Amino acid sequence: MAAEMEMVAIPRAAVQRRPAGGTGDAIFHGLTLIFAVLVLLILGGVIVSLVYGALPALRKFSFGFIVNGAWNPVTDNFGALAPIYGTLVTSLIAMLIGIPVAFGVALFITELCPKWLRRPLGTMIELLAAIPSIIYGIWGLFVLAPFIQQYIEPALIGSLGKIPGFGILFAGPPLGIGVLTAGFILAIMVLPFIASVMRDVFETVPPMLKESAYGIGATTTEVVTRVVLPYTRIGVVGGILLGLGRALGETMAVTFVIGNSHHVNPSILQPGTTISAALANEFTEAVGDIYQSSLIALGFILFIITFIVLAAAKLMLLRLQKSAGAAA
Amino acid sequence: MSVSLATSHSPLPEIAVQHQDATVSPFPVKCQIRNVGFHYGKFHALKNVSLPLHDRRVTAFIGPSGCGKSTLLRILNRIYELYPNQTASGEVLVDGQNILSPGFDLNLVRAKIGMVFQKPTPFPMSIHDNITFGIKLYERLPRSELDDRVESALRHAALWDEVKDKLRQSGLGLSGGQQQRLCIARAIAVQPEILLLDEPASALDPISTQRIEELIAELKSDYCIAIVTHNMQQAARSSDYTAFMYLGELVEFDETEKIFTHPREKRTEDYITGRFG
Amino acid sequence: MQLYTRRRIGNYVVVGLSLAATAFGLLFLVFVLGTLLKNGIGALGPTLFTQATPPPGSQGGLINAIFGSVAMTLIATLIGTPTGILAGTFLAEYAHGSRLGEIVRFINDILLSAPSIIIGLFVYSVLVVPMGHFSAWAGSVALAIIMIPVVVRTTEDMLNLVPNSLREAATALGAPKWKIVVTVTYRAAVQGMLTGVLLAVARISGETAPLLFTALNNQFWSADFNRPMANLPVVIFQFAMSPYADWQTLAWAGALLITVAILFLNVGARFFASWSGLQK
Repeated sequence: MAAEMEMVAIPRAAVQRRPAGGTGDAIFHGLTLIFAVLVLLILGGVIVSLVYGALPALRKFSFGFIVNGAWNPVTDNFGALAPIYGTLVTSLIAMLIGIPVAFGVALFITELCPKWLRRPLGTMIELLAAIPSIIYGIWGLFVLAPFIQQYIEPALIGSLGKIPGFGILFAGPPLGIGVLTAGFILAIMVLPFIASVMRDVFETVPPMLKESAYGIGATTTEVVTRVVLPYTRIGVVGGILLGLGRALGETMAVTFVIGNSHHVNPSILQPGTTISAALANEFTEAVGDIYQSSLIALGFILFIITFIVLAAAKLMLLRLQKSAGAAA
Repeated sequence: MSVSLATSHSPLPEIAVQHQDATVSPFPVKCQIRNVGFHYGKFHALKNVSLPLHDRRVTAFIGPSGCGKSTLLRILNRIYELYPNQTASGEVLVDGQNILSPGFDLNLVRAKIGMVFQKPTPFPMSIHDNITFGIKLYERLPRSELDDRVESALRHAALWDEVKDKLRQSGLGLSGGQQQRLCIARAIAVQPEILLLDEPASALDPISTQRIEELIAELKSDYCIAIVTHNMQQAARSSDYTAFMYLGELVEFDETEKIFTHPREKRTEDYITGRFG
Repeated sequence: MQLYTRRRIGNYVVVGLSLAATAFGLLFLVFVLGTLLKNGIGALGPTLFTQATPPPGSQGGLINAIFGSVAMTLIATLIGTPTGILAGTFLAEYAHGSRLGEIVRFINDILLSAPSIIIGLFVYSVLVVPMGHFSAWAGSVALAIIMIPVVVRTTEDMLNLVPNSLREAATALGAPKWKIVVTVTYRAAVQGMLTGVLLAVARISGETAPLLFTALNNQFWSADFNRPMANLPVVIFQFAMSPYADWQTLAWAGALLITVAILFLNVGARFFASWSGLQK
């Protein structure tokens, strides 16, 4: 082996060093790990407590619970049909109204509005989302419901209600309180979430792509529907699913205006109930094991529905991130 | 004294050394890099690099982008270990001890070997706290001594006069050149023995760059300095030894003057004369 | 020519509709806030802050509900903030590419958007039932559980924004990882993290459903966390749905108070974020 240079450490002022704590690392890592696992445990706990609480009812009614339209605390006969129906219908109405409006808002903010207006409009969306559910509820009860009762519902009954067959959706006396009002309020509540996701996703479209479309003479509408939407469709669907998840679980706003009636009524102008509204209205007064257990079973069903919707939304948005990362 | 890669038939390329005399040079080898290799995942980034770093001398690493010079520097204080899938092989001997061996106390390695990065990275705290951050990791000093160390470090980094009245202000409020000198002060405050500078002036304007170069010339009387630079003129001006790397290999290592006037390898000559870069 | 005109008209229609949609959103925002102001301002007065909720048909205030909301929000914040920050730190600093990290992130996002009434049910079965009675502790825990996923998310996002070069610089000095996170990374991300906490507090300030089965409500002044405690959202719920005019007025006043507080927190958080961004 060739002689290597002698290595002489040049004497320096001897520095007394104590090594910086290594056990501190283990402790801190462990601490963060514990709290991260706590998040998992919370969800696990939610599932377990729901199942445990719902068991008596599920054992008594088994799968018939889902299609049973009765709700009788006296005879202890409970069925989830009316709440599930109400949850789905109100959310459907909310989506039918909310998605187009959200799309319009997102379109306006990203393509049409002048630069100085963008920030205030963005703030407006955030404020709409920040207003708590109970405020919408109280406003819906005292302002929106009477308005709908006085103007909208008679108009609907008089027009669409007259169509044979289809008209059954708009039958009945105008009460103001009911499925339609609840769906409408839900639409206003989910609109900012969907609009915000849509706007964020629209803004990821490379300007070059839009410019080339504008360059060959496409109108704004065409650019958005033929270029922007297809490019962002996964994100848009993810945002819609997120809004849907929100609508399904909304409680207070719906509770105020839905009328709390455990009846499945084809007319959307009539009162009904949703799972969360039933829980909010009845849980604290539910006497009897089966009554309480049935309500918890309702909660469990709601949890499953929202879990599926949210998981689907998350997977979509994850796929979007991955493809964006691959393209980058 | 010059060193060249003699590829012999032994498994390890050996460093053939020619002395004029056998006495200990005033600039002995502080750090011996021996057969160092590096992988980013499957990518073989460094291949069998061996060279010495002399104490109180500046060794510059030059080469085109991607040649592995920064990678090599980052092996010397094992900072690559922050990231998964990055592995190093070979030996790095500092004062005779292999710092790449797994049992070696990482934090002590980094206390002995300081690093300054390309982009100035002041911590989000006051200038004073920036400097004492490193000191407090290792030493328990009374307030007055800490203040002395802060002043000393800032003086050595040629920053004291500019900041002595605003030590309590945030380090982020300084200009780019000042921030970089702050980072240098921070690195030397812990009294390391080796200083690694990874393109320290590339993000700075020419005037700041000049001041950094002057600083390095002063600092080398106390530290073993290794500097990575893509600026050949800087390497020619500031360093005593130069290593030219290409595609993960050490092509040539010699005294700076020799590298820039009579390079032995064709590739070195091509790079220096600008035939590729 | 016909195709071109059709396209142009179609464009005008859609543009017009999107303008209408935006106006629609704006209209409702103004409508809701305006109604709140109109109906709530009348009930604002010193008695609101000095008297407790009255029995039906008489005058009173909301002081017990205000106290309850503030107190429970405070306790929830004290529970939820460190939990959320530490869990978020795990995701940002220790869990890159790990399976556990992906799972935690996924579950956290589920919890983030889960119906808050389900959380109320959960806390009911694990706290109220064993304790045998409703309590403000249970209410605070329910609010904390709603707050945690928000703080986890914003903490993780803010920590991920801190450039790696800062961590490398601290590592190069020989600092152990925990010290780097606590003294450098946190400090670099502190403004964003605080904004996240403020927004989370704004979120739980208006939550009603989780309190329905946990803290319930209390007609009288009470500072006992072991008993049901009055709070603004449940009081609003009870009073607004009642047929008594006095109660309804108080409900509007409470609604106005909550909304003002939430808007204040939201605007404040954003202001704080941009102001501290300017500081750099």
